[in-house]
Amino acid sequence: MIRAMAFRNLQEVARFVITLGVALILGAIIIQLSGREASAAYRALFESALGSRLALADSLAVSTPLILTGLATAVAFRTGVFNVGVEGSLYMGAFAAAWVGFTWPNTPSGLLIPAAILAGGLAGSLWGLIPGTLKAWLDVDEIVTTIMMNYIAVSFTSYLVNYPFAVPGLANAMSPMVPSSIHLPRLLPPSQLHAGFILALLCALGVGVLFSRTTWGFEFNLQGSNPIFARWAGVRSPRVILTAMGLSGFLGGLAGAFQILGVHYRFIANFSPGYGYDGIAIALLGRTTAFGTLVGALLFGALRNGASGLELFAGIPLELVRILEAVIILMVTAEATIRLKGKKIPISVEREG
Amino acid sequence: MSAILFAMLRMTAPLILAATGGIISQQAGMINVALEGLMLIGAFAGVLIAYYAQSAWVGALAAVATGALFAGLLALAVLGLRANLIVAGLALNLLVLGLTRYLLQILFATRGAFAPERLPGLGTLEIPALQGFPILGDIILGHSPLVYFSWILALLSAFFLNHTPEGLRLRAVGENEEAARSLGVPVNRVRALALVASGCLAGLAGVQLSLGNLQLFFENMTNGRGFIALAAIYFGQARPALTLLACLLFGLFEAIQIRLQTRVGIPPQWPQMLPFILVILVLAGVSMHRRARRMFF
Repeated sequence: MIRAMAFRNLQEVARFVITLGVALILGAIIIQLSGREASAAYRALFESALGSRLALADSLAVSTPLILTGLATAVAFRTGVFNVGVEGSLYMGAFAAAWVGFTWPNTPSGLLIPAAILAGGLAGSLWGLIPGTLKAWLDVDEIVTTIMMNYIAVSFTSYLVNYPFAVPGLANAMSPMVPSSIHLPRLLPPSQLHAGFILALLCALGVGVLFSRTTWGFEFNLQGSNPIFARWAGVRSPRVILTAMGLSGFLGGLAGAFQILGVHYRFIANFSPGYGYDGIAIALLGRTTAFGTLVGALLFGALRNGASGLELFAGIPLELVRILEAVIILMVTAEATIRLKGKKIPISVEREG
Repeated sequence: MSAILFAMLRMTAPLILAATGGIISQQAGMINVALEGLMLIGAFAGVLIAYYAQSAWVGALAAVATGALFAGLLALAVLGLRANLIVAGLALNLLVLGLTRYLLQILFATRGAFAPERLPGLGTLEIPALQGFPILGDIILGHSPLVYFSWILALLSAFFLNHTPEGLRLRAVGENEEAARSLGVPVNRVRALALVASGCLAGLAGVQLSLGNLQLFFENMTNGRGFIALAAIYFGQARPALTLLACLLFGLFEAIQIRLQTRVGIPPQWPQMLPFILVILVLAGVSMHRRARRMFF
């Protein structure tokens, strides 16, 4: 039993390393084709991702929203709900947190910080519950609705900061600043690493416990792996779907709230470079486990942060990292299949064997 | 007013082209969430090749071929390596976004936009028979050839899906995979071809953006239009006529957004959101209708 588990873990590690390796080799080919030196480029990438304490701290800072969007996606995928809408929850959560901040600037920070974080989570949660309700009660395909909800959230928040909450005299679409009392403390200045990272780690721990030790987690798994059996076993699938979507949206909202309270200090229209979509890749890379997702997010964070060095020191456009990420996603999803919704849709969510 | 309708036809063309491609793959049972990326790579390849070959039409052909190539990659990942369709599709969007930005910098050392002086455009198609009609002429004349082509193509695809044996086979694959297989339809090959066809059309849609409506490429220039096309498909429940109507409606929103924003002061975000809100309402309505019917019959 223990040996079997050890073997599986070894397999997981091997899978992870191979995926990363192939992506890096492909990246090296692209770099060489572009007439640059691949070894120098990767050295620059590594140096600026992990080369110093500051670089490492910045990598952790970049991975903070990714941990949360990865967990958000993992919670939904576990339950067999294909929530592609974490990006939307992130935007709504980010705006809600900023709104609490700039609306009540004079509230003591002991009250304001929890209120802003909670508002972010709840806004994301409500946003996730809209497609969640449509799926749970009306069986409306969540893939399409969540994609659409993302675009609505981006436009809607952009509207909010361009019209009702526009700051006179600012050319760019941003909300007013939140008061400094609400800023999440920086852990290792001058790096951007902030206390949100610790909270994200706690969320990963919480989701891990939820998956493996609680009735909710058990119901998520049951619903995700076999909805018909789940119903016969007395799991009420609408309730489970709503719980999962609510929680998924909450985590997505937190990701947005932490970006505002820890990095930007105001809501900026279109601020996310696709954290929510990255979460899909990360959750799949981590096989929808909490620990795997955490590792995936740290890897993506390091890659992202290293990308700036790639551009600065090796003259390689940092978009190379985007290409590598896409390759990683394609490789991860090309591995395994499960049955989703009774239809044979391949989705690499469950461990095989 | 006629200026808005003129703009509507212009903005509708890429939507129709992409949505027609999307319908073909959707009817074969493959949701194509990569329309966005396929359009973008088409727009890029079109500009790139048109610039080097000094011919917009060679560029358009290259865009079609590039769209087919990338859709072929998607088909390989999904059908050959059993990747998840949605995840692989979204990954393709990400790949194209990164790749086009990367190539812009490597090839032309620019960020953002590539608008060389000597970039041939698709130009406009003259229709002498229609010249002289007062209002209709103002709306219908003076578009790029792809605008007219998009309508012809939409009609052709409707005919193909509903009135040809190949179209029937394609729909059978989407409707009931097992049944189609038992009748000897090569399911995977049909699906792969459907995806490649949607890639061709999405590539063409991209060219209409970069060489028809404008004559330049800028990063992320599709700006969600692939997903608007997807919304139109769901709005029209993958049926060509209804989808065409949805494209017109969404094209009108875009025309309004461009034309009226400054004059009437409608926040541009509202017409941007509207297609997506509408399609969610439609999906909910269709589902409620289906439920009610099941309850009574």
